Order: sequence, then C-alpha cells, then structure tokens
Amino acid sequence: MFMGRLYAQQVDIAYGDRIIVEQLNLSIPTGKITALVGANGSGKSTILKTLARIMKPKNGAVFLDGKAIHSQSTREVAKQLAILPQNPTAPDGLTVSELVGYGRFPHQRGLGSLTQEDKRIIQWAIEVTGIVDFHDRPVEQLSGGQRQRAWIAMALAQQTDFLFLDEPTTFLDMAHQLEVLELLHKLNQEEQRTIVMVVHDLNHAARYAQHMIAIKKGKVVCEGAPDQVMTHDVLREVFGIEADIVPDPRTGVPLCLPYGLAHAAVERARTHEKGA
Amino acid sequence: MKAMAGSVENRRKIRAAKVMAVLGVLMFASFFISMNTGFIKLSPWDVMKTLAGAGTEKQELVLFDFRLPRIVLSVLVGAGLAVSGAILQGVSRNALADPGLLGISAGAGLAVILVISFYPMTEGAPVYLLPLCAFAGASLTAALIYSLAFRKGQGVAPTRLILVGIAVSAGISAAMIVLTIKLNPEKFQFVSVWLAGSIWGANWHFVLALLPWLIILLPYVMVKARVMDILRLGEPLAIGLGTSTERERIRLLAAAVGLAGASVSVGGGIGFVGLIAPHLARRLVGPHHQYLIPASALTGGLLLIVADTLARWILQPSEIPVGIVVAVIGAPYFIYLLMKT
Repeated sequence: MFMGRLYAQQVDIAYGDRIIVEQLNLSIPTGKITALVGANGSGKSTILKTLARIMKPKNGAVFLDGKAIHSQSTREVAKQLAILPQNPTAPDGLTVSELVGYGRFPHQRGLGSLTQEDKRIIQWAIEVTGIVDFHDRPVEQLSGGQRQRAWIAMALAQQTDFLFLDEPTTFLDMAHQLEVLELLHKLNQEEQRTIVMVVHDLNHAARYAQHMIAIKKGKVVCEGAPDQVMTHDVLREVFGIEADIVPDPRTGVPLCLPYGLAHAAVERARTHEKGA
Repeated sequence: MKAMAGSVENRRKIRAAKVMAVLGVLMFASFFISMNTGFIKLSPWDVMKTLAGAGTEKQELVLFDFRLPRIVLSVLVGAGLAVSGAILQGVSRNALADPGLLGISAGAGLAVILVISFYPMTEGAPVYLLPLCAFAGASLTAALIYSLAFRKGQGVAPTRLILVGIAVSAGISAAMIVLTIKLNPEKFQFVSVWLAGSIWGANWHFVLALLPWLIILLPYVMVKARVMDILRLGEPLAIGLGTSTERERIRLLAAAVGLAGASVSVGGGIGFVGLIAPHLARRLVGPHHQYLIPASALTGGLLLIVADTLARWILQPSEIPVGIVVAVIGAPYFIYLLMKT
C-alpha cells in the first residue's frame, strides 16, 4: 500500500498530551502536486509539519527514501525537502537576495561564502519567481504577494525534490494567489518537483493539484484525484457544507459552489447560539 | 542584473569593513584618552614617555598597574557582554533579550551577596574568590532557567525561556534584597557598587582570567554565525533548512552564558551593554551575524571604555559605578530607538 518516496506509517501526533492525529497512514505521490484540504483545526497543517519532520510524531514514523525521516541527518533531509511554513518572518533589513541565499544553507560547508554555483541557483530562483526588480529591497518593505514569492524563492534555492507549503496563498489577492499557484504548477511540470501544500480554496486545490487528501479530525476521509475527492458527500462530511459540484467550463476539473451549511453543522450553530 | 546575489553581499561587506574601521579608530582614541584620565594626572606626553619606558616609577605604577589593566578589562567585559547579548537576541528571536534574561546578572549577584554575607572578614573583599563564585552563580542560574524552560519532546521554546528567565531573575532579586538588608553598612556599600557594575580591583590577573573565554568563544561564535542567521528565521524554517535547532541553541546559549558569566564575574552587574551594543551594531551593519558579532564586540568594548572613563572623570576624585554611566548613556538612546520604530 505504501508507494512513492515519502510516506507516513501508523503515525500518532500530539501536542503535549492532546492527540491530534491517530494512526495516520499516508503516501505522497512522487512528482505530483498534492493538496491537503480540511476545515480549520482538522490537523492538516500538523500533518504537513510532521511529514516535513518539523514536528516529531508521538508514535510511528514518516519515511523518506525508505528511512525514517527523524533518524536522518536534518541537513541531509534539507537537501531533499524544503518547507515553507505559514507566515514566516524575516529579520529587519534583510534583502530579498540575501533571504533567497539562506536557501543554500544546507548545501554550504564550514565558513565558506556563496560559491559561483550557489549564486547561479539564487539568481535562477529570483528569476523564476519574478522578483528580479526588487531583489535588493528589504523583505519587510515588499507587498504580501512579493514577499510570499521571495520566500518561495528561498525554498527553491534549496534545490529539493520535495516542496512543502503551508497555505502559500493566504492573505494574497486573487491575482497573486494565481501567480503563486501558476508558479508551483510550472515547477511541477517543468522540473518534476513533488509539491505538497495546504490550501483553503477547494477550487484552487482541484485545479492545480493532481492529488487531493481530505482531512477531518486528524483522519484521512478521502484521497485521490480531484474528481474523486470533490464530491457532494465528501464536502458535507469534511467541511459540513452543502455544495453543487460542476465541471469547470474551461478545464473540466470539478468546481464547488457551496449553497448552505450541512444539516449537522446548522444544528451545531444553533445550539452554540443558544448557549451563548 | 548580473551577479545580483553578489552585489548586496559586497555592499554589506564594504559597509561592515568601514563601520569596524571607524569603531576601531574610536576605540583606539578612547583608549588613549582613558590613559590620561584619572585622579593622578598623566598628560599625553607623560603617557607616551611611560609607554616608551621613560616614565617615573609613580607614573609607571599608575599606568601599568592601575589604568591599563582597567582599560583593557573594560574593553573585554564590554565585548563579552555585547556578544552574549547578540547571541541571545538572535537565538531567542527577541530584540529585548540580554544576558540578564538568562539570570546571569542575578545569579552572579546572589552568589556575590552570599559570599560577602558569610565572609568573616570585614576588611577588604575576597578578591579572587568573588569572580569564581559569581561565575558559578551565573552558570547555575542559567542552567536552572534552561531546565525549567525545557519541555520533553518540544525542547526549549524561546518565549518560554524568556518568561522563565524573567520569573527566576525576579525571584533571585527578591532573595538578594532580603540578604542585603542583613548586611552591615560596609558590606552593603560594596555589594551595591558591585551590583551596579564596576570594573573594581582591576589588575592583570583578571585580564588573564577573562581573556581565554573571549579567545575561545568569540571564534566559536563566529563559526556559528550562519547558524544564528538561520535560527533567526524561526523554528520551522530553521529545521527545514537543515539545522538541529535544539542542539545549536543549547551550544549557543552555553557560549552566551560563558561570555556573560565571565564578564559579569569581573565587571559586576553591568546590564545595559548586552542589550544596547547589539542594537547599535545591527543598525550599523545589518542583520548578518557574520558582521553583527564582531561589530557588537567592538561597540560593547567602545561603550564600556567610554563609560568607564567618564565614571572616573565626572566626580573626581571619587568615581561612580560604570554600570550607572552605561545606563545614563544607554537609556536615552533606547528611548530614541523606541520613538523611531
């Protein structure tokens, strides 16, 4: 049942004593874009962090290339897998190209400064993310979309096969959201990078991901191609919404048009109101 | 367009070199002025003559046995505290962190008060015992704070470290007040000068005691400069970029404790340098620790040499604790910083 280079086997994840995820088995298809979707607090972000070895599972293990990821040298893993967490912050005064340069850290040795090779890769990452014009501006002076692209450029400079992103499009306007997603799509298509991202917008997930994993209360409810996951029943179960699923007139991928809260959710809202 | 990654890097390097050259010149100037300053007048000419070996016996005594060790010591203490502060601000990702945060000043202070309280002689202080005890007090407190902030499976979260540090320091300060009440006036006087920070009883032995810490730890910290840059990005990114955050953090904290503990043990509770010197340095050379660490060391050394000179000069023939002078210089600057941001 386990395929691909990265998978989780019987993983329990806990914050202190509170168990968030129990007995998770999950496999990330290599060379595809995978979208983790689920309601707030469903544990999708926690799962992403555990897959990327930012969090340690309480039991079980995540395997990268056949070896438990937490037992591997974190530096070696960093050459295979880059992660961009939610709302990263850069120190004041750091310029974009310096930030992108940090992506070379796992490849650098000792005291050495950037090599020609490092500089070439940094340059490429800056170009491919379209931030050439403000490469020497301080990160804190950029707009949200520019800043997000600068961070993605840093992750790209890491030159990894796996790229993990936690809500890369949050706080961005629609054009910038599409910009980021198109960039990820391009990286996946042209360089066969395996991308795993947490996204809130289901229609974005369906359009850009080839694989979707729907999570509720730390458990995988449904996974597969977007048309398998974006169904009336799954949306009701995972998000508690009633929605029509229609094919996108241009691409044919499923689009979700929510029209109301599912019955259970409505009930919950009512009792909550009474209580308050 | 070409080599864009290199251009910023070069600009920073040039700027850092300029800043450090200026700081070096200023330090040299202060060094010289400081040699002329004090109760016994030594003109620049006297200083030159004495340095060349042509001074009177009294001039030699004043310069070589009193003034020079004191000046050298203030540079070392300032540099040690400043670098310690720079490390702590980076590792805790908190711009307000300083060596006091890890209970270093409080722990050293408590140890000093305990020694003074129970030391039988009223005459003179146990000059060589005190630094050792102060250092032990500082490291024990830092270890206590670290272990209290430690959570199994999560390690030490920087915020937790800061909160525990504040709490433990407050507790120790309370204990110190209780202890100082019981001291006789003479001992009280000594302790309060020590707590305010003063390059007291400076001699070459103290210089030799402090120097190895700096010689070993400064290069070590420089080697870790890039790791500190990465830690500054926060836990998830630092791990993602391949840093063993927990291990690196404990090493860097240990280095910070070593530097500050050694500095405090000979310089007393000089607090503000560790907070303000890294701030100044960051404004001058930017956020890269590769430049920030040496610039902090120079800024801290310069700050303390100036403060110590002023401390000797303002109320001649008596002197005020250098820690108070640092605070008087530092506080307005800090308020200015707060108003600007």
